[in-house]
Amino acid sequence: MVLFWICTVVLLLTGIGVIASRQPVHSVIGLIVNFTALAVVFLTLSADFLAMMQIIIYAGAILVLFLFVITLLTVGNEPVERGPSRLSFQTAPSVAAGLAALALLALGVRNAQPSAGIALPADFGSVASFGLQLLTTHLFAFEVTAFILLVAVIGVVLMAGRKEVRF
Amino acid sequence: MSGTLTTVPFTILFLPLFGTIVIAFVCPRFHRVAAAIIANLAIFGSFLLTVILALTVWRLPPAAQAFTVKYPPAWAAHPQFWAHIPPLTISFELRIDPLALVWMLIVTGVGFLIHLYSIGYMAESKNYRTFFAYMNLFVFTMLVLVMAGNFLWLLVGWGGVGLASYLLIGFDTDRPAAVAAARKALILNVIGDVGIMLALFLMYAHFGSLSYKEVFANVTSAGPAALNWIGIWLLLGAVAKSAQLPLQTWLPDAMEGPTPVSALIHAATMVTAGVYLIARAHPIYDHAPLAAQTVAIVGCATALFAATIGCVQYDIKRVLAYSTMSQIGYMVLAVGVGAYAAGTFHFVTHAFFKALLFMAAGIVIHNLSGEQDTRKMGGLAKRMPLAFSTFLAGTLAITGIFPFAGFFSKDAILDQLLRLHHPALWFFATLTALLTAFYMFRLVFLTFFSGAYRGEHEPHAARSGTMALPAVLLAVLSLVGGWLVLPGHDAVTSALASTFADRSTLESMADFNWPLSLGTLALAVVGFLAAYALYERAPQMRERLRTTLRPVRALLMNAYYFDTIYHWLFEVPAYTVASDFARYVDPEGIAGVTTGLARTTVHLGDTMRGWETGYLRRYGLSMLVGVVLILAYYLYVAHQGAALGAR
Amino acid sequence: MQIPVGDYLAVSAALFITGAVGFLLRRNPITMLMAIELMWNAGNIAFAAFARSFVDMSGQIFVFIVITVAAAEAAIALAIVVMVFRRRPHVDVDDISIMRG
Repeated sequence: MVLFWICTVVLLLTGIGVIASRQPVHSVIGLIVNFTALAVVFLTLSADFLAMMQIIIYAGAILVLFLFVITLLTVGNEPVERGPSRLSFQTAPSVAAGLAALALLALGVRNAQPSAGIALPADFGSVASFGLQLLTTHLFAFEVTAFILLVAVIGVVLMAGRKEVRF
Repeated sequence: MSGTLTTVPFTILFLPLFGTIVIAFVCPRFHRVAAAIIANLAIFGSFLLTVILALTVWRLPPAAQAFTVKYPPAWAAHPQFWAHIPPLTISFELRIDPLALVWMLIVTGVGFLIHLYSIGYMAESKNYRTFFAYMNLFVFTMLVLVMAGNFLWLLVGWGGVGLASYLLIGFDTDRPAAVAAARKALILNVIGDVGIMLALFLMYAHFGSLSYKEVFANVTSAGPAALNWIGIWLLLGAVAKSAQLPLQTWLPDAMEGPTPVSALIHAATMVTAGVYLIARAHPIYDHAPLAAQTVAIVGCATALFAATIGCVQYDIKRVLAYSTMSQIGYMVLAVGVGAYAAGTFHFVTHAFFKALLFMAAGIVIHNLSGEQDTRKMGGLAKRMPLAFSTFLAGTLAITGIFPFAGFFSKDAILDQLLRLHHPALWFFATLTALLTAFYMFRLVFLTFFSGAYRGEHEPHAARSGTMALPAVLLAVLSLVGGWLVLPGHDAVTSALASTFADRSTLESMADFNWPLSLGTLALAVVGFLAAYALYERAPQMRERLRTTLRPVRALLMNAYYFDTIYHWLFEVPAYTVASDFARYVDPEGIAGVTTGLARTTVHLGDTMRGWETGYLRRYGLSMLVGVVLILAYYLYVAHQGAALGAR
Repeated sequence: MQIPVGDYLAVSAALFITGAVGFLLRRNPITMLMAIELMWNAGNIAFAAFARSFVDMSGQIFVFIVITVAAAEAAIALAIVVMVFRRRPHVDVDDISIMRG
């Protein structure tokens, strides 16, 4: 319980930090902390395997990719937001729309039904049951995901590997 | 059913169309004569097959003489291959019976002779191939008309002959008069097409079918009022096609077409389609006395009307056109009173002698380099003996001089009128016979006698075997054609019997009323003598008569001012309305609406385009706003649902 | 001790809106991509919470698939960013607006 609320605070704070910091590197660090807290949240939901994945794939792989791109391309650059904005009528409506959406979601969440109260099986969220479900019930989704990854790999190689870019 | 009876009609029908296609698409590579040869062969083939078919059919027992063939025969049991809108099925079917066969024989037979004649007559034409292609097309459409097995195909042929007639009247596209005449013919004919369409709608409403067989079998299931309406609308079609009152004005103008066209279409075949239609639809008219009576009156009025006009006209082809109108009036009168056999018989003889008259007139016109005004002719009897003798044969036939064809066929109609108790109609028809004799002999005297030649150009005596042969053949036919009906022997009625088997009475023409025939003959002689007196013996009397009857003459010269009346009644208002529409309604009203719509669309597009900035973040904002709205909507619905559930 | 599912959803909503607003306000493409990652993860919390709530592994499987797709998305988006940065070192997303209608 306490763990959950600590994680919540960390999640929200680092989330704001991610979108607020001037330097992308700071954002990535915020994001790493955010994802770690998220893994703990998964643990409180008895999703052990997901927590591992969250750390390994997200914090480990994707964010490292972000870091690479940042260090390779933008080190020493002035933060983008120093220059004048082109979109004059963007900030206020965005914040307003965000707050409105938040309010509506809160309204919706308030109506959420309490849990069914079914007793959890012992192996809920374990690697074994997860693997069993993934490769039997959800085999098709699994295969499609594999295909999407393949397409993404090909696309990335095509785009990033090109010498000259024209747009 | 034997194979001959299915394949032969099909071949007869499509041979001329085949000719058209070959001439139009294959012939341009060959010499122009090839077109003429192909056209003639196609029609001749059709004619030969028709003769074979006719001999076969007439040898069958009467009950088997009338039959319907559906094409292709294998599809007969599968209506869904055709236009199939239950309960209506319209398949491609041909009706072969004696009535159709008579018409087919004339269309292909006389048609072939006129094709032959055209070889010489059209020799100098630039569009030789086009002419023969059109002529073959005409024969095809006319065959569709007479061979059709249901009213829809009849209408197809009906419209088709109108089209072919339009193309051929306006054949000399560089003469505005010809083009105007073609347009006039087409428009007036389309009025008739609309009439037939209305009749078809009524038939569909009352019988649920358009096939001859089914309509005629159930004819009594519709009330007399409905049948009268069907009859009247069919009559409208017949009136337009056969140039009867009041839609007759196109026929004299149609003489702008080449003379073979006048002979084939506007004398021998197409204009008699109205007679065919009424004879074909006889079960309807037999149960629609009012419509039938109207038919007879229209025919009689037209016969008299056209004959009076014929007495004063000078254009040789126009006189013949009015005489055609008048003779068709006889036929319509005959079929109107129920003397179908007499009407058909007159159609046959008329096809012979009227085609002959046009051919002879064509030879005269050809040799005078296109001159048609009889005031510039005269004294041609010695210069053109062939034209004269054939024209004279035709005149004797049309005026009903014994033993030429007209004597028998016209007398048959007059005789039937009395037998069927129509004395008033008989009186006017007899009067018309007198007038016919007068104006036809007047034409003979004006053209071939009445002193010396009055034209400026010396006539050249171009002789063409292909022009002379058909004329001579038709002259012989004009003589012997009438002998189908002799005292005590009536080949026409007995041949047609199976078509009219449903009628309890089809009056035989074999029983001659000799006093009547001789009386009519005497009237014809009176007409001849009057013409002789006025145009040969006493020109001064003609002058005096002309002065005394000036208003009548003006009336007749202008064909009772029908064209003028129509001009003021229809053309002027139509033009006024149309020009007003063009000036005000179209640019302001209709164009206003359409351009307004276009402008609104452009404005809308411009407005929408402003949102398409290309800025990713703007799109994102739009999405978020959309999310907010959708959320709000769902929460609202959920709230409503909760409120409903609470209640 | 069970934490109510509504609490998880509230966290998820807050995190999602944080990401969305960040996406709309920032102009550095890399930061925008990170905002998108935040939104993915907010969705994941909701999935996992529901999986727990309904005792159904399908929600967890879905989270797994989302992670995979997010990885693919991040790879492609970063490839695009790399292309853009090669062209010019200083990038504002608002400069890349040539695809407007």
